[in-house]
Amino acid sequence: MNARRRIAITGVGMVTPVGLDAPTTWKNLVAGQSGVDAIRGFDAQGFPARIGAEVKEFHPEAVIRDRKLLKFATRSHGFALVAAEEALRDAGIRPNSATGDRWGCSVGAGMMAVTFSELQTVHAFCGDDGEFHPDGLLDDKFPADPVGFCRSQTNTGLALLTRQFGIRGYATAVHTACASGGQALGTALKVMRRGQVDFMLAGGFDSMLNPIGLSAFCLLGALSTDNNTPARASRPFDATRNGFVLGEGAGFLVLEDWNAARARGARIYAELAGDGNSLSSYRITDSHPSGDGPVQAMRQALTDAAMAPESVDYVNAHGTSTLMNDRSECAALHVVLGEHIGRVAVSSTKSCMGHLIAAAGAVEAGVCALAIRHGMVPVNANLAELDPDCDVAVVREKSKPLRVRGALSNSLGFGGSNSCLAFRHPDEVAV
Amino acid sequence: MSAPRRIVITGTGAVCGAGRTIESIWNAILEGRSAVAPSRELDAERWPVSVTAEVGSDARTLVEDRRLQKMISRTDLFGLYAAGEAIRDSGLAVERDKLEAPAKVQFNDRSGVFAGSGGGTFRSAYDFFPLLTQATGDLAVFGRDLEMTVDPMWLLRQLPNNVVCHVGIRHGFKGTNACITNQCVGGAMAVAEAAAAIRADEADRAVAVGHDAPIEPETVLHYHNLGLLAREALRPFDRSRAGTIFGEGAGAVVLETADAAQTRGAMVLGELLGTGCVTEGTGILDVLPDGDGLGRAIKLALEQAGVTPDDVGMVVAHGNGTRTSDASEAAALRRVFAPATPPITSFKWALGHTIAASATLDLVFALKALQQGLVPGVATLNELDPALAPFPVSSKPQKPRSQLALVCSRGFGGMNVALLVRAGRSRP
Repeated sequence: MNARRRIAITGVGMVTPVGLDAPTTWKNLVAGQSGVDAIRGFDAQGFPARIGAEVKEFHPEAVIRDRKLLKFATRSHGFALVAAEEALRDAGIRPNSATGDRWGCSVGAGMMAVTFSELQTVHAFCGDDGEFHPDGLLDDKFPADPVGFCRSQTNTGLALLTRQFGIRGYATAVHTACASGGQALGTALKVMRRGQVDFMLAGGFDSMLNPIGLSAFCLLGALSTDNNTPARASRPFDATRNGFVLGEGAGFLVLEDWNAARARGARIYAELAGDGNSLSSYRITDSHPSGDGPVQAMRQALTDAAMAPESVDYVNAHGTSTLMNDRSECAALHVVLGEHIGRVAVSSTKSCMGHLIAAAGAVEAGVCALAIRHGMVPVNANLAELDPDCDVAVVREKSKPLRVRGALSNSLGFGGSNSCLAFRHPDEVAV
Repeated sequence: MSAPRRIVITGTGAVCGAGRTIESIWNAILEGRSAVAPSRELDAERWPVSVTAEVGSDARTLVEDRRLQKMISRTDLFGLYAAGEAIRDSGLAVERDKLEAPAKVQFNDRSGVFAGSGGGTFRSAYDFFPLLTQATGDLAVFGRDLEMTVDPMWLLRQLPNNVVCHVGIRHGFKGTNACITNQCVGGAMAVAEAAAAIRADEADRAVAVGHDAPIEPETVLHYHNLGLLAREALRPFDRSRAGTIFGEGAGAVVLETADAAQTRGAMVLGELLGTGCVTEGTGILDVLPDGDGLGRAIKLALEQAGVTPDDVGMVVAHGNGTRTSDASEAAALRRVFAPATPPITSFKWALGHTIAASATLDLVFALKALQQGLVPGVATLNELDPALAPFPVSSKPQKPRSQLALVCSRGFGGMNVALLVRAGRSRP
């Protein structure tokens, strides 16, 4: 029973608003460099929120040589393919025809795949009066594009990743809004422990920085409208915070059996030690002010990792910079960490790179792995005045050298799904 | 060190074009009645394909809460209804409500929710059409008029994980959860993941639901252009099969440990013995002609169950009616089972292809078939494709040769999932 399989993180890949790879992203997060600016990808000047954390200068064809494959990829699929390639290269191991059956893939996939221009085309043929008339699709001039249709399917990202890298084992795509990336990694951990595969390429990808995605969050009033001070707009735990900043990107990890990784001399960033997963069952957009829901997820993650609160040194918070989330999350941290709360370093890297939605949990898991590896906890940028209701030890002003024995990463989604992942320093692993 | 937890199914729920109860859908299947009919939305005079298996215009009545109806989309109505039926059928909520406060909290924290969700639709974005018309291509106007024109709660109605969320809120379940958006195999994977969570002691019980509402003009057009749709009937494994036909709906099962079910004296409908999940890694649409992925998924399920191919009493095939999928599925089944292939049936000819809901519906009616000792015939089968022979699918009912049924689910992305169940024993 206790001979449970131990899982190592041996590869990290990222495409984020602060870097096109993991080392650049890490360097900028440590420096507290913001990736938030006026939106350039489309004309956002009329929107209530006109700022975003865009991935800049992204050219997937420089990394993914299969041009035909890229034709089937949306912007976020491109992020995924590039981040996954980096993770595999970083791990120094990848599937081949002999091992492909023993590789799995688990992704947190964004919910939107129809591009704005595709929607405009359908509107032009079917909806000029504001209503949808299906017969417009049958017009001889309607450019029905099978490639566009393929791009739009819910598991297209998964299909492209498994094809590109020759993965032939367990494969899944999950979507629990902002918890998606965390849940994808949690699933990957469990699938490996069950022995269904020996390797996992796991992560998340998303891009909602388009007119419809931006509209969706503007309508909910969830975004910061500090349009004149974009770099300061995302300020988790600050008393003056007023919403999140929409970002985009992808993060991927390579997971493998601990002993096998050791045996091949792989560089092990950290142990992916535990997963917690709960439902708040309270309201769609809020978690309970008491932290109920996230509390259970964090406790499960600690129990699952056989980790005590006293060995947690860092929490990468969900920390969206909305009024409700940050309060409720801090309440949950108090409940779970108890007397240790004043000692545990907490930061939200969304302060620099915005909220990557379905990719957030995966990128932030990578941040935890890098924090453990480099003995450094990244700064929570833009914190001027701590909200008294967020009384936790936020990493202020600058990043802090710290040997991180254990770390937690929270991802709390619309719909009430809560994910918490636990990570352990390789030297803390008693083999 | 305890033996592995055995996972049983103690409740089922279903809704689709063929009915809203297990009995009515089962009777339609047995009587050879397909739910495929002219579509409400697609003009038969103009559309190359205009038949579907729809739930109907009164789908809203599936969820009585009017406030909730406005907060969710069509697929969520199906999922919430089927999950509610399965939970009611299991008697779990009644048991829970008898508990004292601390035990009740514990019960809810240990109750999981797993959904296979169809994910986004094309239709949802049409809510922006009035704004697009108003803006006449000017994004500055689009942004300025946004809040006056579009429902502020628009995003919440589109969340692919709405069923997970609202099953939690309505039934108080707060445990481990997943929303799987893996196209056709989502429903099958929800069952497999729910079972795995209970086996690993991450939950004591869970509801697993597959739900989808894939019928919409853009999807029909693209499937048709790809040559995937039949115009008249879905004829799996038939010589003249011409493609699939869309359906919509949801299926749900409640899973718990055999010990817990026995302790509370629950009716056990079946036991989930094994699951297998693999991709062929072939990309979005391609499938390997030899059925490689399905063959491997079935072997994994058999291995986990510790049974041999000869132990399997019947197969509910994916049988979506397309040329390539059916041919490769038959190849996989022959490779695993020949020469002693068990009776084969499939249900999509009657219910339509409900995509993310299809495998959960198939599982629900596989259990029914085992209980009744009857493998329903495929009423639309005229003549078995000789290229697939020998292949024991029939338009007439057959007898299962044991109490074990295999359910096959296949989807885009080269996905293949197999579920292996054993019939339950009725309450003594």
